[in-house]
Amino acid sequence: MSATLPDFELIRPATLAAAIAALQEAEAPRLCAGGTDLIVNMRHGLSPAATLIDITAIDELAGIVRQGEGLHIGAATRLCELEEDDTLARAYPAVAEAVRTIAGPAHRQAATLGGNLCLDTRCLYYNQSDWWRRANDFCLKYGGDVCRVAPSGKRCRAAFSGDLAPALMVHGGEIVIAGGEGLRRLPVQDFYREDGADHLALEKGEIVTGVYLPPPAGLSAYRKLRLRGAIDFPLAGVAISCARREDGWHFAIALTGTNSCPVMVEMPPLAPDEDAAAYFRTLGRQVQKKASPQRTTAIAPHYRRLGVAAMAVRLARDLWQAA
Amino acid sequence: MSARRAVAGQPSPLVDGIEKVTGEAVYTADLDTATCLSGRILRSPVSHGRILRLDVSRARALDGVEAVVTGEDCPRSYGVIPIAMNEYPLAREKVRYRGEPVAAVAARDARTAERALALITLEIEELPACYTSADARAAGAPLLHEDRPGNIEREVHHEFGDVAAGFARADLVREERFRCAEVNHAQMEPHAALAEYDAERDRLTLHSVTQVPYYVHLMLARCLDMDTSRIRVVKPFVGGGFGARTETLNFEIIAALLARATGGRVMMRLSREETFITHRGRPESEVLMRIGIGRDGRLCAVHCEVTQRGGAYAGYGIVSILYAGALLHGLYDIPAVRYDGWRVYTNLPPCGAMRGHGTVNVRHAFECLLDRMARELGLDPFAVRRANLLRAPTRSLNDLMINSYGLKECLDRVEKASGWRQRRGRLGPGRGLGMACSHYVSGAAKPVHWTGEPHAVVNLKLDFDGGITALTGASDIGQGSTTMVALAAAEVLGVDPGRIRVVVNDSVITPKDNGSYSSRVTFMVGNATIEAAKRLRAILIAAAAAKLDADPGDIECAGETFSVQGGEQSALSFAEVVRAALADEGTITVKGTFTCPPEAQGGRHRGGAVGSTMGFSYAAQVVEVAVDADTGRITVEKVWAALDCGYAINPLAVEGQIEGSVWMGMGQALSEETRYLDGLPVHASMLNYGVPSMAESPDIEVHIVESVDPLGPFGAKEAGEGALSGFPPALANAVADAIGLDMNVLPLTPDRVLDALIKARRAARRKEAS
Amino acid sequence: MRMISPVINGEECTDAVEDNLLLIDYLRRNRRLTGTKQGCDGGECGACTVLIDGRPRLACITLAAACDGAEIETIEGQKRGGRLSALQRAFHENLGTQCGFCTPGMIMAAEALLRRVPDPDDAQIRAALGGNLCRCTGYVKIIRSVRAAAGGGQ
Repeated sequence: MSATLPDFELIRPATLAAAIAALQEAEAPRLCAGGTDLIVNMRHGLSPAATLIDITAIDELAGIVRQGEGLHIGAATRLCELEEDDTLARAYPAVAEAVRTIAGPAHRQAATLGGNLCLDTRCLYYNQSDWWRRANDFCLKYGGDVCRVAPSGKRCRAAFSGDLAPALMVHGGEIVIAGGEGLRRLPVQDFYREDGADHLALEKGEIVTGVYLPPPAGLSAYRKLRLRGAIDFPLAGVAISCARREDGWHFAIALTGTNSCPVMVEMPPLAPDEDAAAYFRTLGRQVQKKASPQRTTAIAPHYRRLGVAAMAVRLARDLWQAA
Repeated sequence: MSARRAVAGQPSPLVDGIEKVTGEAVYTADLDTATCLSGRILRSPVSHGRILRLDVSRARALDGVEAVVTGEDCPRSYGVIPIAMNEYPLAREKVRYRGEPVAAVAARDARTAERALALITLEIEELPACYTSADARAAGAPLLHEDRPGNIEREVHHEFGDVAAGFARADLVREERFRCAEVNHAQMEPHAALAEYDAERDRLTLHSVTQVPYYVHLMLARCLDMDTSRIRVVKPFVGGGFGARTETLNFEIIAALLARATGGRVMMRLSREETFITHRGRPESEVLMRIGIGRDGRLCAVHCEVTQRGGAYAGYGIVSILYAGALLHGLYDIPAVRYDGWRVYTNLPPCGAMRGHGTVNVRHAFECLLDRMARELGLDPFAVRRANLLRAPTRSLNDLMINSYGLKECLDRVEKASGWRQRRGRLGPGRGLGMACSHYVSGAAKPVHWTGEPHAVVNLKLDFDGGITALTGASDIGQGSTTMVALAAAEVLGVDPGRIRVVVNDSVITPKDNGSYSSRVTFMVGNATIEAAKRLRAILIAAAAAKLDADPGDIECAGETFSVQGGEQSALSFAEVVRAALADEGTITVKGTFTCPPEAQGGRHRGGAVGSTMGFSYAAQVVEVAVDADTGRITVEKVWAALDCGYAINPLAVEGQIEGSVWMGMGQALSEETRYLDGLPVHASMLNYGVPSMAESPDIEVHIVESVDPLGPFGAKEAGEGALSGFPPALANAVADAIGLDMNVLPLTPDRVLDALIKARRAARRKEAS
Repeated sequence: MRMISPVINGEECTDAVEDNLLLIDYLRRNRRLTGTKQGCDGGECGACTVLIDGRPRLACITLAAACDGAEIETIEGQKRGGRLSALQRAFHENLGTQCGFCTPGMIMAAEALLRRVPDPDDAQIRAALGGNLCRCTGYVKIIRSVRAAAGGGQ
C-alpha cells in the first residue's frame, strides 16, 4: 500500500521543441501537466516513468485565443481558466458545463485541457493500490494478461472518463498534435481508440498542443451521471449540440464513461414535420445501442446505459425546445 | 422547560476550537517523526488460508530495516469483549480476510519499509471462503473458527410479552424483508499510532487515534505481556471516530510490538485503503420485520429477525447483534416483541460499532414498514406514531429504564416546521415528504469490563493561581466532550469558563475513562464533573464562611464573588476565597464520580445488559425529496430534525451533533456502501466510498427538545447518535411518497431506484394489458 | 535533488528536495507545517488544500519541485498579529469545525473563494467547497461559517 512516489527526474522544458526532444530522448518519459490524475496513479504504483516532462511552462501550450471565427485552446490551459472564460460559456456551453463538473475546484486549478483529453482510462480493477492489484493477480491493462471485466475478451475494457472530449466532439473540435514530423490535426473522436489499454492515437514523441473549436453552430449542453454532486468521475456523460437548419434540427451527440473511448451517436436531422416524440425515442435507443458500459465501476453497467440514454433524450428535447 | 443557567445552556464554541482552526491542533500523524522509524504492514492477499511459510529473513537483512515482527511475536489474542477475544494483531496459522495483517516492518523510512515488505516470502494454502451470511450458514460451509459451528458467532432469541396473542389481535399484520448494505465510518483522519519503547526502563508509550485509550492500554498489556504500570497511553487530537476506534485495533498493537523490537520510536500511518480495511463498520444486515397493528394504529406485536454479516473476527459482534434486538424497545409502547438474531462470521474485514450501533438497520425496517401499514389503514404517519407513545417514567418490556421522553414534542415540532399537514401530497410529481422516529442510549449502563469501579471519574485541581484544572480521560473526538466538562464545572462553580483548563487523555495524568462510545460521555462524565465541582464548591464556601464568620449554608456564590445571604458584610472575591481555602492544606484536589445505579443496568435475561442505559434520546425528522424518474437520482431538498437531548448543556454542540448524525444517516441512505470482489474491497478510497459532498448535502433545520432527565447532568442525555437512524427510513418514506415505490434496500442509489421504477412500469403495463 | 525557493506564509524558504517529493510531505516533514492534513491516498478529500499563488490546490498531488518561486499559503499563515482571520474566527464561533481534521483544508478553500467572491451565496459556497469532504458537520455549520466570515468582512 504505497504512499510514496517512485523515483523520477522532473524536467520542465520552456519550449515545445524541447519537450518533444525530451519525449524522444529521455529515459522512460511521460508528460505531466496538472498531475491531478497522473500523480494519483503514480501513488498507486501505476503509470511508471523515469522522466516526468512538466509542460506547464511552455508558452505555446497556454491560453485561449480566437482563430478566425473559431477558438484555439492550448493544451496546458488550466480547467479553471476554461471555467472563467466568458466566450466559452456563451459559444460552447457544453464545454463550459463539462468543465464545471470535473472533480473538485482545487483539481481544476491544476488540471489542464490536454490532461483531461489524455486522461487514463479507469476501471475498478485498475485504479487500486499495488497491494490490491497484486492480490488480484493484476489485469490486462497493467501487469497481467486477463481483462478482469471481460476475461474472455481480448482487449482491456477500462472506461474513458474524461468530461471534456464529448463536449468538444459535439462542437466539431479538432485536436492539434505536435511531433517530430510537425503538426497534425484530427477530429477529437479520431484521437481515441476503443481499447482501454491503448486508447490514445498518439505516436511516440507526440504531444497534444491544443484543441481547435470551429465557429459555434447552435446550442449545446453536457450532463453526467454520478453519485455525488462533486469529485466523482462520470459513470456516464453525454454532450449534445443542436443546430437549426433548413432541413430541420441537427443533433450531435457524444458519450463518455460508457466505452473505452468517447463515442459519437449518429442521428439524422429531426425534420420540421417529423413526429418529435418518436424521434427522441429513437435517439434514446441509438444512445443505448452505442453505449457499451462494462463492469468497470461499482454501479451496474446497465444502469449507466439506461441512465445516459435517459439523460440524452431529455437534453436533446430541452435543446430542441430552446432552439 | 429547563432552568436558565449562566454557563450551561449557552451556545459555546469549543474550548479546543482555536487549535483546530489554526492548524495548531496536534493529531497523531502530526507528532514529531524526526527520530521515528516508519512502520508498514504486510497484509494477506487471500481471503481464507493456512499460512504455510512466512520467511522474513531477507526483509530483516535489508539495510535500514530495524525490526520485522510476525504472529510468532504475539501469541496472545485480543478483542473488546472479554469472552470473545479471537483476533491476533498479526495472523497466526490462518488468515481470514484479505488485508489481514501478517507481518510488519520498522525501517528508517517508508520507502525502505515498503521494499522490505516486498522481500517477505508468504506462502498460503488457500481455503474456500464465505462472503455472504447465507454462504457462511450453508451446510458444509468452510469454518472460519473451529469453535463456532455454522459460522455463527452469536445467536439471540428473546421474547417479551405474548407475541402470538398480539398478532392474533392485530387488524393488520405485514411482513417485509430489508437488506441494508455494510457501511464504514470514513472518519477524515486515517489511522495512525506512534509507539515508543524505553528499553532501559521497560516502558511503552503509545499515542493513538483511539476513542478508548483505556481499552488500548489493557490490550497492549495483554498482547505485549507487560504490566499495565509500564504502559502510557496518550490520545492526541483525534480526527473523528464514529465507532471505528472504540476497540483496540491491530495497528496499535503492531506499532507497539515494533517499538519494543527496535527499542525505539515507530510511527505507523495507515493509508486510507488500510483504514477502510481495518473497518469495524456497520455490518450488512438482513432484517425480516413483522408488525401487527390495530385499526387505530396501536402496535400489537412485533417480530424481528436480524442476520448480520460480521466479518472474520468477533470484535463487538455479540454486542451489535444484542443491540439490534434490545433497541426494538424503548421508542414506542409495544406490548409484545420477539427477536431472533444471528451474527455470522464471513471472510471479510471485521465489523464493529458504528454511530447508532446495532439499531440503525432495524429502525429502518421498522419505520418503513410502520409507514406502509399506516398508509394501508389510511392513517397519517404522525398519527400512527402518536398512537404508540410511551409515558415516562416507565420501564420497557425488556426492562430498560426510561425516565424522560420528549418524543411527542419532537413530533409536534417537525410536523409544524415542515408544513407537513399543508404540504404533504401537494408537492407535485416526483416530490415527497417522509418522516420517521428514532432513539439511542445515553451510555451503556453496564461497562464492558466489570471491575466494580465507578463508571466515570473526574478530578479538579485548584491551586494558588486561582486556576482550576479539570482532569478527564474522556476522549474528545470532535464531539465536544472537553468543552462539556469545562462548561459543567464552570456552571456549578459559578466561575468564568476561562478560569478552567481541561487536561485530557494521558494515562499518567488523567483518571481512567472507559472511552467515547455508546454516547456515554455527557451523561457519565458530565455527572462526575458536576459532583467534583460541587465538592470543590463546598470547600470554597466553607472557606468563605469561615472568613466571613457565617454559616456555610448562608453563603451565596455567584459571578466569582462570595457573600452572606442578606448580610451586611462586603463580598469576598474568588481570589480571596481561594487564598483562604488553600491556607490550611495547600493545593486542593477533588474528585467526582458517577456510577449507573443497578436499576439502570438492564434486565436479568441473557444479554440484558446490552441496551441498558441511563436514558434515551428521542428524535423525529421529516425529509423532503425530489426523485428524477429518468435517472433514479434522489435529491434531498431539506431535512427538519428534532431531538430530545434532555437538556442542551451546549446548544451549539448539540445542533452540530444532530446535523452531523442526520447527515451521516443520509450517506448510508443514499450513497455509502462497502463492496467487495471476492473479499477485495473496491470501495476503499474517498473516491469510491460515497461520503456525500457539500454539493448535494441539504440544509438541515434542527429543533432541540429538552425533556430534562431527572438523572442526567442538568437533565442532559445524549445528542450525537439518536437522530441518525431516523434518516434512512424518513428518506425511504419520502421516496415512497414521491414516486409510489416501496424499496427494501439501502442505500437507495440511483441504479436501484431506476431498476425499481422500471420494474414497476413493466408491472403496470402488464396489468393494463391483462 | 534540486533547490526550490517558495515563499511560504510570507517567508522565503530555500530547500533541497527530491524530484518526487510531494508538496504535502515537504510542508509537513521538511517545514514542520503539520496543519495541512492528509486524509486520503491522493486527491480525493481536500484535507490538504493550500493556496498556491492565491488559488486552492491539493498538496497531496502537487510536486514540491514544481513550486519553486511559488507563493504558498497554509493554515498556519492565516492568523494576523496573533489573532484569528475572519474565516478562522467564524469557523470557531459557529462550530464550523468538530473533529477539526478537514478544517485547515476547508478554511483554505473558503479563503480562496472569499478573495474571489467576497459575498458568496450558498450555491457558490457549495460549488467552491465541493471537493472538501467533512465527516462531522453535515456541512451545515461550515456553510454558515463561511457566510458569517463574508458578512463580517475582513
